[in-house]
Order: sequence, then structure tokens, then C-alpha cells
Amino acid sequence: MTSAVTIPRHGGTGGRTAVAARARQVVKAYGSGETRVVALDHVDVDIARGQFTAIMGPSGSGKSTLMHCLAGLDTVSSGQIYLDETEITGLKDKKLTKLRRDRIGFIFQAFNLLPTLNAIENITLPMDIAGRKPDKAWLSQVVETVGLADRLGHRPTQLSGGQQQRVAVARALAARPEIIFGDEPTGNLDSRAGAEVLGFLRRSVDDLGQTIVMVTHDPVAASYADRVLYLADGRIVDEMFKPTAETVLDRMKDFDARGRTS
Amino acid sequence: MTVMKTSMRNFYAHKGRMALSAVAVLLSVAFVCGTLVFTDTMNTTFDKLFASTSSDVTVSAKGASDTGETTSDNGKPPVMPASVLGAVRKADGVKSAEGTVFSTSATVVDADKDSLSPTSGAPTIVGNWNGNDARTMEITDGAAPKGSDQVMVDADTADKHHLKLGDEIGVITAVGTHTAKISGIAAFQVTNPGAAIFYLDTKTAQEALVGESNVYTNVNVTAASGVSDAQLKKNVAAEIGGGYKVQTAKETADANRDSVGGFLDVMKYAMLGFAGIAFLVGIFLIINTFSMLVAQRTREIGLMRAIGSSRKQVNRSVLAEALLLGVVGSLLGVGAGVGIAVGLMKLMGMTGMNLSTDDLTVAWTTPVVGMVLGIVVTVLAAYLPARRAGKVSPMAALRDVGAPADARAGAVRAVIGLLLTGAGGLGLYLAAAADKAAEGSLWLGLGVVLSLIGFVVIGPLLAGVVVRVLGAIVLRPLGPVGRMAERNALRNPRRTGATGAALMIGLALVACLSVVGSSMVASATEELDKSVGTDFIIQSDGGQLMTPQAVRAIKSTPGLERVTEYKWTEADFTTPDGKTLDKTAITAADPTYATDLRVETVAGNLADAYRPDSMSVHEKFAEDHGITLGSKIAVAFKNGSTARLTVRAITSSDAVIDQGAMYTSIATLKRYVPADKLPLDDLVFATAKDGQQDAAYTSLKSALHDYPQYTVRDQTDYKQELKDQIGQLLNLIYGLLALAIIVAVLGVVNTLALSVVERTREIGLMRAIGLSRRQLRRMIRMESVVIALFGALLGLGLGMGWGATAQQLLALQGLNVLEIPWPTIIGVFIGSAFVGLFAALIPAFRAGRMNVLNAIATD
Repeated sequence: MTSAVTIPRHGGTGGRTAVAARARQVVKAYGSGETRVVALDHVDVDIARGQFTAIMGPSGSGKSTLMHCLAGLDTVSSGQIYLDETEITGLKDKKLTKLRRDRIGFIFQAFNLLPTLNAIENITLPMDIAGRKPDKAWLSQVVETVGLADRLGHRPTQLSGGQQQRVAVARALAARPEIIFGDEPTGNLDSRAGAEVLGFLRRSVDDLGQTIVMVTHDPVAASYADRVLYLADGRIVDEMFKPTAETVLDRMKDFDARGRTS
Repeated sequence: MTVMKTSMRNFYAHKGRMALSAVAVLLSVAFVCGTLVFTDTMNTTFDKLFASTSSDVTVSAKGASDTGETTSDNGKPPVMPASVLGAVRKADGVKSAEGTVFSTSATVVDADKDSLSPTSGAPTIVGNWNGNDARTMEITDGAAPKGSDQVMVDADTADKHHLKLGDEIGVITAVGTHTAKISGIAAFQVTNPGAAIFYLDTKTAQEALVGESNVYTNVNVTAASGVSDAQLKKNVAAEIGGGYKVQTAKETADANRDSVGGFLDVMKYAMLGFAGIAFLVGIFLIINTFSMLVAQRTREIGLMRAIGSSRKQVNRSVLAEALLLGVVGSLLGVGAGVGIAVGLMKLMGMTGMNLSTDDLTVAWTTPVVGMVLGIVVTVLAAYLPARRAGKVSPMAALRDVGAPADARAGAVRAVIGLLLTGAGGLGLYLAAAADKAAEGSLWLGLGVVLSLIGFVVIGPLLAGVVVRVLGAIVLRPLGPVGRMAERNALRNPRRTGATGAALMIGLALVACLSVVGSSMVASATEELDKSVGTDFIIQSDGGQLMTPQAVRAIKSTPGLERVTEYKWTEADFTTPDGKTLDKTAITAADPTYATDLRVETVAGNLADAYRPDSMSVHEKFAEDHGITLGSKIAVAFKNGSTARLTVRAITSSDAVIDQGAMYTSIATLKRYVPADKLPLDDLVFATAKDGQQDAAYTSLKSALHDYPQYTVRDQTDYKQELKDQIGQLLNLIYGLLALAIIVAVLGVVNTLALSVVERTREIGLMRAIGLSRRQLRRMIRMESVVIALFGALLGLGLGMGWGATAQQLLALQGLNVLEIPWPTIIGVFIGSAFVGLFAALIPAFRAGRMNVLNAIATD
């Protein structure tokens, strides 16, 4: 089995370490006694800074749970999670909220936007909540990158599914978080719109040095990543660098076959 | 059957969401049932009391009222000679007969001259201890009164005033003050709701109450066995001849009940009226609940339609849920109603009115009325949302949640609402411009109803405008949280409109009444300043007339320049146009009254009306009957002869004090009414010599120390008293309106709670991207505040409009000053903001506790 704790190939930026987030011996279990279900079983993982990481695995493998724990949305049963040098396990809700607000960006599969706010208001929402002024130049760069300049005054209901997800990407990028988590961000989109959104994510890593972690079950989506982690039964069972859709698909078929024969 | 099953399941699945609607139904039904049980219980109590105190047949003196409670304007009860008793005893079928003497116009004081009369409005009865009383009461301490120095008191009064055997008490009547020591204490066998009763022996009662011996006010007759009351009445009447009032036990009890019943009915219908308002407010809450449930269930309903449910079935399933809600709410309400009735009885107990739970009366109609009302109102309120549910297309199952707004319906609503509001405004305008009170009140009623409905209909449109304005003032400074709260309040204007409208109704009534109330105070104060030229007004607060002894005491007070007596009596008028007006009120006063109260005249000089055989009439009366100066009116005085009085002054109808009074002099009255039938003074005005006001005020108070039933008031006291009285009345009404406001607040809580459920995912998303719990809670609180302020603004605006219109209309009757009570209005407005904060407490708390992951995962 390959260890998921890797030596990063990119150097760090500035004073930051090369690892944006890491999990150490993380266990997440639900229930107790006979009904105890282990969603994450002593997981160790490092998320490299400035990289696009995809987490894959069959339904129930624990991939979403891992992402939620890394992002401070869910608590762990044991183990530690660090964002940069901050241990987030054990933080109180107030601090966690502040951390999510200031240092993390999110893109969900659906229902990413507040229906009462227009596109630009949704994009600047995390900064508004924090009471910070958005960096104008950066904001217009982000808006331009996702190609929404002429849609900023529209409400979510007036935007297509693809446009809505692009607004969500822009929101995640606009606050310059240390790390962006995506939970099947293209799951609800057709292949063309999905490709568009993934293209933006890729470009934000390449051009802007953004760190992104994405949960997906789509081999094509995973092929946009620098590195793919495979989860099964709450454990990291494999990883792959510089994936293509074909190699990812092959590896998955492999797991499926093994799963069936074992 | 399946329809019922789905409805049942839906009802149980969403019982939390139904809870507040159920409470609204419960409160309204409980108030209705509570009122019914309470008034029925009061009726039972009085029925028992009257049944036990009436003898088989009662003979009363001529001039006694039907209830036998005998007060006449000369301060002494009408009596009959003792010979009547002898005559009654001779009648066939009489087992026994007993003469009684009692009066309800005496005042009883303790040794310190403090009044022992009830403060609850119940009567003070002083009478002789007779066989009838001996049957219904039990002497618990001491013995029955014997001799002129003994008196017996009822146990409740003794308790309340800590009286014991040997204490001295005084009985003050027009005859004089009689003092005696307590010889005994007697307790009622049935519940006595609050009358204070004092017993003397027969001879003493005759002397103290009437000032004559060998007279009776009533004769109580007991039938021999086998003789019916009706037969006995016939026999007695035949024996004693005409000129007396003869009544059977049933007639006496009925007359008694009628006299109390009028008051009970007023109370009952007033309280039912307020329950009705609460129901009206509850309707908004129910409509909102079902609208939200239907909206949240759109996909589910679409699926039902897709797999073959008919519109009717969907419609019916929603109505069936409403039916269940109505049944549950009403059932609990009926139960709570009995509790409310008991609570009211306890409350009355604190004000001095004793009611016993033994008499608790729940008529079979009470639960039926409560249930039917609760269920019908709930189902009717759910009808619109149910119809909307029926219209959900099967496609809704496939579409994403969030139905598009129906723009056309909005336009139709706007037109209808504006038309209604316009019509209401026109009605109010016509009411304000009306020059006849009857016509004006019709317009006012129409204007109030139409403008209220109009506001309810355009509420959602107004919500858009008003919330934006409020948001700009209240919320914008709060940054993004405020902005989101504003957007949330705006996102479903129909919901915000209905929630605000519920609050609007109660607050509109509060605003309207407070405007009318303070205008009354202001108008009366202005009038007092303008027209009252005397320093002190002396009268009793319990409606007793001034005894001659008290008037003498006033007249001998040092430092007074003049004292004016004021009497009131009735007379049959025959006017020059040939009409006879029975029992018309006429005021007789000393000539100085023209100086004490400056009444404007439209013709003649008021002072001339006090010349011999002269009088004044008011403007309207003069117009109606073609009277001019010099016209003669035949005035047949009550208990006196007919005078032909010349009209020497016509007073303006535009006055608040003594409006419509017709004056003559006491000297004139004395010429036609014998001295012993002359009515006592209603009130007395006293004016101090220049510069001696303060000394005179003190002297007057000490001069009347022995007569605690009378109060001396200078103009400041009088104004304050007026203000207090209106203030008390308003507070009572506000208290009753609180029910409607509580239901409206439940409505705000309900809307917020359901909105929070509806926005679960949104809240999850906001929490995920960094909205803190505190910010989330603040957002919900701010939304609540804006909704509450919206309702308050509409309600206060509407209510002030109504109040101002009512004042314009009442200006015809002298309510000339419009005064908007800004402190009250602003207080209510600010209070509404706090109500909003309060309403949001639980929804905000629950939203804050929502688990972020679950919220995101919720479908």
C-alpha cells in the first residue's frame, strides 16, 4: 500500500510550509457497540500546497467524510487535523466558523448560492460576513477568469446551472482562502459545463497558486487534478499522480474487480 | 380513505409546525368558552341568590322598582303604612306575612368614618332582620340586633374590614346618621357575590332609614300549603287594593336577574367581541401555516398528482389536515376555557366580587359553540391554501423547489386592494365630513372595515415598500447581516404581509382608541378651562345623592363665596308643537350656576332661565320642536304638579359638559314639587372667596370627613379624575386586546420558525462559508423586528386614521380637540421592535443549533 504522506514536489510559497492541510490518525465513527460504523479508519494524509487534489472512492468509502473533517465542517472521533500549522480538531464552533470564513473556500454540488443575493453579492458574501473589504483588483481578476462580468447583477434563479457553479467557484476564490474544498462541484452539470468549471479550477491552481481538494466519482473530473487519492472502507488505499481519465478509470476498474473477488 | 390516511400522517409528521396554529385556535376558543362559562356561572350565582332571598309573594310600595330595590330621589325609600300588613294577613291562602324595611341608598361607615361599602359596584343594603333573612342566613357570631344601638353585619363584609362584635358603625341616610354597635355576624348560605348587608331591628330600621315609625318598604308573604304563588298574588292584590306592587317569587327573581343580566350581557358580548378579534388574527396565522406547508410540500403534491390523485383529493387532504388541527385546537381550547373562567372568578375575587367554583356552570352549548367555531374557522382559513395545493401541476414533482411568483395574481391583488383601500378612505372622509352623527357613524364603520380589508389585501405590496424603507433605517447599519435579513423579509411578501397584518389589526385598534381617548381628555380639559367658573365640585363616586346634612356642612364651611346646588329630575314636556315628551330630563340649579358653568347660548341669556317659571332648552331641542324665546312649555314634574315655563334661553349644543341639559331654577321646582318629594342634590359646586382657595379646599375636606361617600375635587383633581377614568377604561380594553396581540406574536414566531425550516440548506451553506451563530441569530431577529415594525407601522397608521376620523365625527358632540398621544404611539412602535426580538428568540435559537452538515445534506 502506498503511503499518502508524500514529499511535496512544489516548494513552499513564502513562509508557509509546503503542506496546506494534514490529517494524522483520523478516526470518524458513528454509533457505538454493535451498531458502530467506522467512516474513517486511522487516516493519514497531507494536502500539498498549490496543488489540485482529487479524492475518489466508491459510495460509502468515506471520501465526503474525509473532506468534511479536513474542512472543519465535521468533528473527528480521534486523531488530529491541521490547517497549515493550526490544529483544528478540538476547536470551538466560534473559532471553527472564523477559520472557515477566513481561510477556507467551499464549492458544493448544488445549492451553492443564496437566492436572495445576486451574483456579485454571493461572491463577496464571505468577506461581507467577516466585515472585510474585497480586494478590488483581485475580485475583477477572479470575475474575469470565471467569465461572469456581464452576469454580476443576476439572481441565482436567472443563471444556468453552469453559471451558478462558476459563481460558486468565484466566491471560493475571491476571499483568497488557503484551501478550497469542492464536494462533487460538477456533479449536477452536463459534461460541457462541467469541463468549463473544472478548467477554471485547474487554471486557478496553475495561474493563481490556489490549493484545491475535490471529492468526485467522475474519472474525467479527477483527471484535472495533480494527484488522486483513493479511499475504500475508510482507508486510503492508493494514490496516483498526473492522472488521465483513462488511467483513473483503469485503476477504478481494478478496485472494483478486487472488491468483487475478495 | 387514503386521503384521510395521508392527511393523518402529514399532520403527525408536521405536528411541530402545526403546534403554534393549534395554540392560536386554542387561545381563541378558550377565550370564547371561558367567557361563556364565566357569565353562566355568574348567572347561576345570582339566580341562586335571588331564588333564596325572594319570598312567595312580595308587596312593595308604589314607586318601588321591579326588583324591590327602592331608592327614590328624595333619598328615602318609598314606603307603605303598617296597615297594609294587617290587610295582607287577612287575604286567603296567607300562611304568614312580615313587614320589612330596607334601603340601598344608605352609606355605612366604621368608627373612623371610613366607608364599608363595596368598591366593586355591588350594593350596600341596610334593612331590618326579618324571617326571610333568618332562613337564608346563619348567625355565626353574636346575636340578631335588638334595640336601637345594635346592628348585625354579613360575614364577608366583616371579614374584609376586620369588624368584630362591639365595633361601632354609622349608617348615613337622608334622615341623618345613626350609630350602633355590632351585635352579631351572619353568613350567607348561598354565594353572595359582593353586596354589603347590615341589619337593624324593625323599629330602628324604620327610624334610621325612613324617619317614620310604622311604615314598611315591603311585605313578604308566605303561602299556606297548597296555594300557588300566582293564586296568592291574586288574593293579596284583591285584599289590599291598587296602588301597590305585588310580585310572585318568580317575578321578583326575574326582575332581579334582568337588572344584573343587562350588565352581564354587556360584559359577555364585549369579551366575545375581543375573542372574535383574536379569531380574526388567528386566521392569518392558519393561512400562513398552511400556505407554507403547501409550498414546502410542492414536490410531494406534484408526485401525488403525477401518480393519479385528482385536484379534489389533494385539496381535500389539506382540508382534512385543517380539520384535524381544528378539532385538536378546539378540544384543548374548551378545556382551557374552563380554566380561564376559574381564573376570571379568582380575578373578580380580588376586586371584591365573591364567586364560588361550586357554582361553576358549563352549559352543553358551551363546548358545542367552542368546537364548531374553532373547527369552522380553521377549515375556512385553510381553504385558500388548500385550493392552491389543488392547483399544483404534476410537473412540480420534476421541477426544482421554488415556484415562480404569480405576477398576474399580484396585479389583480393590487387593483382590488387599492380599490378597497380607496373606498375605505372615502368612507372615512365622508364620516369626517358628515354633519349628522348617525349617518357619520355608518360611514365610519364602513370606512374602518373597508380600509382594514384593503390594507390586508395590499399588505404584500406594502411590505415591499415599507420593509425597504425600514430596512434602510434599521437594518442597513448592521451590514451584510441586516441586508440579508431585509432580503429574507422581502422574499415572500405575501407571507410577510399576512404576518404583519395579523399584528396590524390589534395595534390599529390600540392606536384608534388611544387617539379617541386622549382627544376626549383634551377636549374635556379644554372645555373645563373654558367654561367652568367654580373652584370645587362635590359629588359621590357611587352615584349616591347629596344628603341635606352634607349640603348643610358644605354651606357652613368658612371661606366660601357661594355654593350652588344642582338637582336633576324628570318631567313630561308638552311643547308648543303639541307633542308630549315623557320622562324628559331637566336640571334644576341655583341661579349662580350660570356663573359656575359658562354655557354658550344661541339666543337669550342663561341667567334669565333661573327667573321664576322660566327655563332654557338646548339648540337641537328648540329646532326639533319649533321653540323660540318666549315659547311656553308645559312641564309635568315627577312627584309634582304641572308648570307652564317660559323659555328664556337657548343653549348651544356644542358642549361637552352638561350637553343637551335644560335648566330651570330650584325655586321654580319647589313651587311644583312638595318639599318631602323634592329630589336631593346630584352635586354641589362651591366657589371660594378670592385668594382663599387653598384654605377652603382643606376646610371643605374636613367638613365632609363624616361623609366618606362624597369627594371634593378642585379643577385639577377633576381633570386628573377624568384622565384616570379614561385611562382605566383604555387599559381594560388594551388588556383584552392583548389576546389578539399575543396570537399575532405567535404568528410572527410561526412564520419565522417555518421559514427557518424552509431555509435549512441556505442556513447550512451560510454557516459553512463562515457565518457565525451569533450573526445567524441576529439575522433572524432582525427579520422578525422588521416584520413586527411593518405590522406596527401599518396598524398605527391605520388606527390613527380611524381615531382622527372618529374625533372629527364626535366633534359634532363636542369632542373638539384632536390629540394624538405620541408617547403611546411611539411607545407601541418601539415596543413592537421588542416584540419582534422576543418572537425570534426560539426560531433563532433553533437555527443556531442546526448542524451544518445535516443542513447541507437536507433535500
